Amino acid sequence: MADKLTQLQDAVDQLANQFVASLYYVHKHHDLKTLGASDKIREEKKDEAAQREPDIEPVSADEFKAGQKELAQDLIMKEQQIELLISVLPGLDNSENDQERMIRQLEDELKAAEEKRREAVKEKEEVLARLEGVIRSVKRP
Amino acid sequence: MDDPQPPNTLAAAFPAPPPFWQSFTPENLERISKLRAPQNRTRREENGIPPRILNLPPELRFLQPPEPPVEGVYRCFGDVFNLKDPLPTLQEMSIQQLYTPPPSPSSHIDRALILKRLAKSLLLNFLELTGIMSTNPEQYEEKVQDLRTLFINFHHLLNEYRPHQARESLILMMQDQLEKSRKETQGIRAVKERVEGVIEGLGKLKLAEFENGKVGQGEVEVVEDGRDVWETLEKEFS
Repeated sequence: MADKLTQLQDAVDQLANQFVASLYYVHKHHDLKTLGASDKIREEKKDEAAQREPDIEPVSADEFKAGQKELAQDLIMKEQQIELLISVLPGLDNSENDQERMIRQLEDELKAAEEKRREAVKEKEEVLARLEGVIRSVKRP
Repeated sequence: MDDPQPPNTLAAAFPAPPPFWQSFTPENLERISKLRAPQNRTRREENGIPPRILNLPPELRFLQPPEPPVEGVYRCFGDVFNLKDPLPTLQEMSIQQLYTPPPSPSSHIDRALILKRLAKSLLLNFLELTGIMSTNPEQYEEKVQDLRTLFINFHHLLNEYRPHQARESLILMMQDQLEKSRKETQGIRAVKERVEGVIEGLGKLKLAEFENGKVGQGEVEVVEDGRDVWETLEKEFS
């Protein structure tokens, strides 16, 4: 999984995409309306409409409303996700100096731990050799 | 092995290593470490690079790493990179800066606050944009510009935060490593103790049999003795 910053940046980019997608949906699926008495919805001939991609594909009012609602909900969800990600950004309460001090301290601890590990390996090998000696002496006294 | 006419090394899909790899023979490595030994005592290593030795024989010259470049550009996989690659400020990109920058790079609390504000502004501006589009679609441009500025500001703030995050990740990784190393040591110690226990057990066994005068009474006894040992071992490790 990507780090928190990248997740946040991706989420913001997704928000931008959702903005575009929402506008597109509204543009594409709204119903046609007459604004004045003299207006009338242009009837396209069948063959003409089939030839090119229609600009607008109206859906029923209910469906349109539901679609709008879903998109709006998605936008709010994304916004909440972004805010959550912001609040869990790592090390918000650590200053740069704190971090450097911690890194140095960890470095020392790591060195010490590695030293101990090597010692342990050495001891283990010694004991193993002793055990081997015992087993051999048992097999062939 | 020697190609009389080496193919174009720059265009090869898998280019050959640079020719000086041939200098890294065991003998040469030993010679240079001998030359370095007296220097190491007097001078401490800086940045993990051994101190430079002057007047090296020519065949050892390649074993001395060059000084790291201080500035300029470098190439990597055919692309040119700047050695110093500072994040351009918003002013340099001629983008309006929508927030007052945090007083110092070390304080990050207000940074989160600014980010949250920017995120809210994004949503609000989108709402305004949809409002404008529904009444006067031709005036979209100004609002879209605003949105653009907001997005760029957001990303910029995040990118400024990256070095901090890198250090934070490093700390986490080191903590992991430390824990792993400690666990390993612990595991090794535990096994060691068990093995010591086994040896001790064997010792007692032998001693007891010795006292009973069983040891050394012919072949059968020896086989029996061995069986005891194996049984103990099996019990210990099953």
